[in-house]
Amino acid sequence: MLWLTKLNLRLRALFQRRALDRQLNRELAFHLAEQTAEYLAQGMSPSEAELAARRLFGPVAALHEQCRDERRTRWLEDLMQDAQFALRSFAKSPAFTLVAVLTLALGIGANTAFFSAAYGIMFRPLPFPSPDRLIDLDDGIAGVGSVTALRALARAVDWAGYYPASELNLQLGGESSKITATAVTSNLLRVLQVAPARGRWFTAGEENFGQHRYAVLSDRAWRERFAEDPAILGQTITLNEEPFEIIGIMPANFAFPSANTELWVPIHMDARSLGYMWGDNDLWPIGRLREGMSLAAAQGELRPVIDRIRPMFPWRMPDAWGTGAQAVLHSKALVKDVQPKLFALSAASLLLLLIACGNVANLLLARAMRREREFAMRQALGAHWSRLIRQLLTENLVLVLIGGAVGLAVAAAILRALPLLLPKDTPRLAEIGPDPALVLAAVASMLLTVILFSVAPMLLLLRQRRESVAGRAVTASTRASRLSLALFGVELALATTLLIGAGLMGRTLWQLANVDSGIRAASLVAARISVGPSRCGKAEHCWATLENINRTLLENPVVRRVNWADNAPLDQNLSAVAVEIEDHPKPPGAPAYVLWRTEATPGYFPALGIRLRSGRLFTAADRPGAAPVIIISQATAQRFWPNESAIGKRIRTLSELQWRTVVGVVSDVAQYSLTGFPSWVDGVEYFSLAQKLPIDAGNIELTVFLESSQPQAPVTWQASLHQRFPDIVISHVKSLAAIRTDSVSNQRSTALLLGLFAVLGLLLGIAGVYGVISHRAQQRTREMGIRLALGASANQVVGMVLQETLLVSFLGAATGVLAAFGLSRFLSSLLFGVTARDVTTLTICPLVLLTAALLAAAVPAQRASRTDPALTLREE
Amino acid sequence: MGKPAGLIQGTLDLLILKTVSAGPVHGWAIAKRIQQMSDDILQVQQGSLYPALHRLEQQGWIESAEKATESGRIAKFYSLTRAGKKQMAVEVGQWDRLSGAIGLVLKRA
Repeated sequence: MLWLTKLNLRLRALFQRRALDRQLNRELAFHLAEQTAEYLAQGMSPSEAELAARRLFGPVAALHEQCRDERRTRWLEDLMQDAQFALRSFAKSPAFTLVAVLTLALGIGANTAFFSAAYGIMFRPLPFPSPDRLIDLDDGIAGVGSVTALRALARAVDWAGYYPASELNLQLGGESSKITATAVTSNLLRVLQVAPARGRWFTAGEENFGQHRYAVLSDRAWRERFAEDPAILGQTITLNEEPFEIIGIMPANFAFPSANTELWVPIHMDARSLGYMWGDNDLWPIGRLREGMSLAAAQGELRPVIDRIRPMFPWRMPDAWGTGAQAVLHSKALVKDVQPKLFALSAASLLLLLIACGNVANLLLARAMRREREFAMRQALGAHWSRLIRQLLTENLVLVLIGGAVGLAVAAAILRALPLLLPKDTPRLAEIGPDPALVLAAVASMLLTVILFSVAPMLLLLRQRRESVAGRAVTASTRASRLSLALFGVELALATTLLIGAGLMGRTLWQLANVDSGIRAASLVAARISVGPSRCGKAEHCWATLENINRTLLENPVVRRVNWADNAPLDQNLSAVAVEIEDHPKPPGAPAYVLWRTEATPGYFPALGIRLRSGRLFTAADRPGAAPVIIISQATAQRFWPNESAIGKRIRTLSELQWRTVVGVVSDVAQYSLTGFPSWVDGVEYFSLAQKLPIDAGNIELTVFLESSQPQAPVTWQASLHQRFPDIVISHVKSLAAIRTDSVSNQRSTALLLGLFAVLGLLLGIAGVYGVISHRAQQRTREMGIRLALGASANQVVGMVLQETLLVSFLGAATGVLAAFGLSRFLSSLLFGVTARDVTTLTICPLVLLTAALLAAAVPAQRASRTDPALTLREE
Repeated sequence: MGKPAGLIQGTLDLLILKTVSAGPVHGWAIAKRIQQMSDDILQVQQGSLYPALHRLEQQGWIESAEKATESGRIAKFYSLTRAGKKQMAVEVGQWDRLSGAIGLVLKRA
């Protein structure tokens, strides 16, 4: 227990210092008294004895000090003294303290938040055992038939399949609602190496059609939809009008494929349903490398396996199908799309931190210069320079600690706001939160900051010492003032870089806002309608249901027209199909043409403002029994039949047997995104919805387009529809303008955040310029006074101050432009309609900064020009 | 806490520990007793005695209490702690080895 004793002693030394000192005094006095008594006994007179004792004893104060030093708490006492001194002096200059703390908090907070967000999304290990053995197929194959075949044939990898995003209609207690559900293969949990929290998972046999009616709930769904009822296992729920038995509940942290997945059901393989097995690409593969197998082994076996899957298709697949497949780490594939953005935002927050550091360093420099006399005095009185530096360090540490504490609060606030600012489809968004990495990042940036801040005043101090020895005339403050001028140049460079990044994103947003989507129906309201098999099991039946819905909707006096399509433009659905095009045979082995397909009712085109260029639109006569027809876009017609009419030409979907005849050509529309179609899409086709209903007897999901006289009041029609068809689920009710806005949320959030950074950077930069220039002007008051006395005009004095600002700002801005040149390529994947080397942005942004810097400098310059020469001369 | 820095300091610590081990004793008496026991050869200066006492106390080897002496004055009495007894044994052993070794060298060289 020796350490306990020691701790107790140290604590007493710290907190009962006065009592200990008194005790020490008594102890030494006792010794002195005994010595005196001894001398008295030897026959000295009392005054002689006392004098002799004192002489023998030596200086009491020094001994006192020596004994106190043995307590080993001296450094702590000094530290506390310095800290108290720092706090007192901060309290005396509240403006300085407030600005410094806020600047620091902003820099540290933004930095901590964005780095922990970037870490959480990009680098934090996935919440599965050995996540580095989970792999995806990039540019690969998908679909129920292909993925299950891949699973059967691959040796190096255990492949599973899942639907990335789908919704089912859940009927519960007479109410229908959407439930985010995904159909998966039975080996998914083996691949992810997770077990259900309660109950069981699917068996291999339950993947077969007819045996597939089992469901596993997410922890959240169990809590929110079933009130944590433990007896839910074994009960039956209705999904898309079919009964499913609940057999298990997953653990709370299981979030696959996304955090909002509420339910898992098995895929239902049915060899007779060609469309389900081979007709779509909706089942995505995810695999785990088997024991002893590497990523290279997984990649190596892909080609031969895919070569064996290709002939399994009921129709002939192009020889190039699947040849581009790449086995990649799941963790990497997951964040591929958000990476550039997170890098850009992290870099921007780093720039902001550096600007903040520069600002605080400048503030501290100015403070140090003001205290030049104090330090010189203390040095003259014998203070060791190391003691002075220790005090400066302590002061900075206190400042950074306060700034860091506020910064952590800022970081927490940003982290809470981030999920609202970032697009909803950002992976792992729900997982972002304060974690040990956040604290680590905060500590690291704080440490960096304190070192940065301490170095500048310390250099100043040391130099002052050397120069006072060398007897040179250059004062330390002149040097420091030059240093702060350089710092402000660097700050401006950083701010310029930030501003250019934000400028490029701003230009991108502007360009996107001005893209002509080809749609002239901003107030049209789109809604997703999901109809179960009881109403849509057969084509005729389904069509009648849609007409009933139309009638119900049109009974509402507000609703003018109702049209249907399989999805809305720009709502970020993929709807591409491989086709064969007449007159354009593909050589064997080449990939098939891919067309973007929309299935629509005749009124769809006029409702969306899509214009007919030649031929005709669909009519009510384009029904299942009639000749199959197709409409293509102008660009598609131009591409395939540039010199002749496209009308009468034929196109065949690879998964179908029949050819469809082109009957019309319509104007181009941005169906996929405002930035255009993916490069692998060759054109756009439209089917008559009536001829396409239904693909399979099952649930069907369509988009209804409502033209209403009051687009702001959608509630009434929803209520009447719900009353007539309680089992039909209405969701995603949005105006086309809102859909368009949402489609650029990625660019918008980046532009918003970068813009925020740039504005903050600009403000900090301006504050820095103002501080530095006014301090310099103040220093040169004497010089200005003399100049004015010698006949310089006020304008000349203003010019002198501004000249310096202009020179430094120009150098800073130029450096910033160069840095932006290097950095903006990270942004290039987010840009649209503007290149990373956009001349306008690269010119305007530095000009904005130069102007702002000059304006900030003008105030102190004006003040300098009003110096009273008489006052200055009297001071001389 | 490391070993005593030099022979002199280490020796003083050992002498103090040994003196204190006889029972509660104040600084003045420690100095006197060392002087008497060494037949006036060793004279401990208060300039080194008191810092040493405070160091030993901070290391937990001796503890102190203020009491009245026979003459009625308040003095600080030191006594050995259990850790101090162990430390003394260690230092006595070290000293025996060292002095024995020096003796051997002086005898045989």
